[in-house]
Amino acid sequence: MIRRQLRVLRICWRAAVAADLEYRLQFLSAAALSAFWMVWAVAGASVYFRFAGSVAGWTHGEVLVVIGLFFTLNGLRQTLLQPNLELMSDHVRRGTLDFLLTKPFDAQLLVSLGRVRVTNLLDPALGLVLTTVGVGLAGRGVSPGRLAAFLLLLACAAVLLYALTVLLMAATVVLVAAEDLDRVSFAFVELSRFPVDLYRDPARTLLTVVPVAFLTTYPGAALLGRLDPRLLPVAVLVAAGAVALATAAWRRALRTYAGVGG
Amino acid sequence: MRDTLTAYRGLARGGTLVAVTYRGRLVLRVLTGFFPLLMMAVWLTVVAEGGPPAGWTAGDFLAYYAAATLVVNLSGDHVVWQWDADLRSGDLSLRLLRPLHPFHQYAAADLGQRAVTLVALGPALALAAVLSPALDYPVTPARLVAFAAALVLAYALGLLTASTFALLGFWSTQTANVWLLWWGLGSFASGWVAPLELLPPWLRTAALVLPFRSMMGFPVELLTGRLDGAQTAFGFAVGLGWLGVFALLYRFGWRRGVRRHQAVAG
Repeated sequence: MIRRQLRVLRICWRAAVAADLEYRLQFLSAAALSAFWMVWAVAGASVYFRFAGSVAGWTHGEVLVVIGLFFTLNGLRQTLLQPNLELMSDHVRRGTLDFLLTKPFDAQLLVSLGRVRVTNLLDPALGLVLTTVGVGLAGRGVSPGRLAAFLLLLACAAVLLYALTVLLMAATVVLVAAEDLDRVSFAFVELSRFPVDLYRDPARTLLTVVPVAFLTTYPGAALLGRLDPRLLPVAVLVAAGAVALATAAWRRALRTYAGVGG
Repeated sequence: MRDTLTAYRGLARGGTLVAVTYRGRLVLRVLTGFFPLLMMAVWLTVVAEGGPPAGWTAGDFLAYYAAATLVVNLSGDHVVWQWDADLRSGDLSLRLLRPLHPFHQYAAADLGQRAVTLVALGPALALAAVLSPALDYPVTPARLVAFAAALVLAYALGLLTASTFALLGFWSTQTANVWLLWWGLGSFASGWVAPLELLPPWLRTAALVLPFRSMMGFPVELLTGRLDGAQTAFGFAVGLGWLGVFALLYRFGWRRGVRRHQAVAG
């Protein structure tokens, strides 16, 4: 079952990548722009450190770790989630969702992961480079335990993002004209640009509950060895709960879907 | 001239209607453009921990970023996306057939949309300033007039620079990326990333003569009462100078570009 799903996804992705790579200049200039935005974000954050050695207990290097993770997750969002969300509102508006639903394949998987866009493929890689640089600057060293906790939390963050996308897809089915729902997922990731500790309450608490903190702050803190280990099971639970919630919402939305004819 | 004005009125009304019809979208745009507010939130933490950086108190940051949100949402540079889309889809050909230069078609529709933003955000900011003691603007009638004039100048310069960059579409398909690069570089010199007073001196000096500050930082600094008479006059002179430069560049680019234009099927 899972092998078949992976095979179908691979075929979908290969087709999408081939189509994207036809526009080579676009790909190259987008890659250059990715690097530029990263330098931009680093330069922007460095303004604070002209006036303070650390903000809310985060040094310059430690903040860079989180900014790197922000680029990693944002790149994933733009590569995997955004193209599917865009396609989804087309499907609902034009009625082509009917065809997808009649295919002998898990429709949720197909609408949520069937498309990829290579434009921002470089972002996750560049982000991890920045994170590595940040870890070096922070000078706290690395240990296998920290690395393992970091990878687990990063996986949870990716799952959270996926759950949000499925939730937005369900919303698209109900609201129909909802291209701008993509901006919700943009905002969710954008809020994770800095460690949530950098904001003061009530924003800080709000962003922990919402759960923006699980995207970049906690994985970054784990990598730096400053995370409360009790948060590890919490993160797993939050991610699993989010997926369950989103899947339920998707099923419910499909029940209300009447089809608009292709 | 009278025809142009009549057309402006009609097209602007159309833009307003579009904005009002899709008001949810407008609200979402304003709400998701919160990057400066993130920057502000971190500044407030910096103030709380180590005292006001360079003399900027929490109130200063609040006043600055609230005004900045208004100015950014009133920017005239949104037209670049419509230009780009029309050049790609071939819809520009249709616009060329109309008896009004495409520049004015885009400008009028955008003005109509901005009017909605102004009506929504302007009173909101004024109300917040009256109700909240933390949000304090040293307003005088003269300062308000200067702010309004600077806002018009900011809009016009944004419109003209965006339209000039949009003309690259006659030669290249990379207009959007070039525009983002320009905008990104400019965001440091405009006061978008941080108030210019908090940036390194060399950048501050450069920002004073570059075009970007006229499109955001200058009106905001005027409203927050950070500029004396000479600085105000200098700011207006720089903005008007760049307006002239881009008007010339636009004319030149348009003449060369439209001759090259090979319409894509509409």
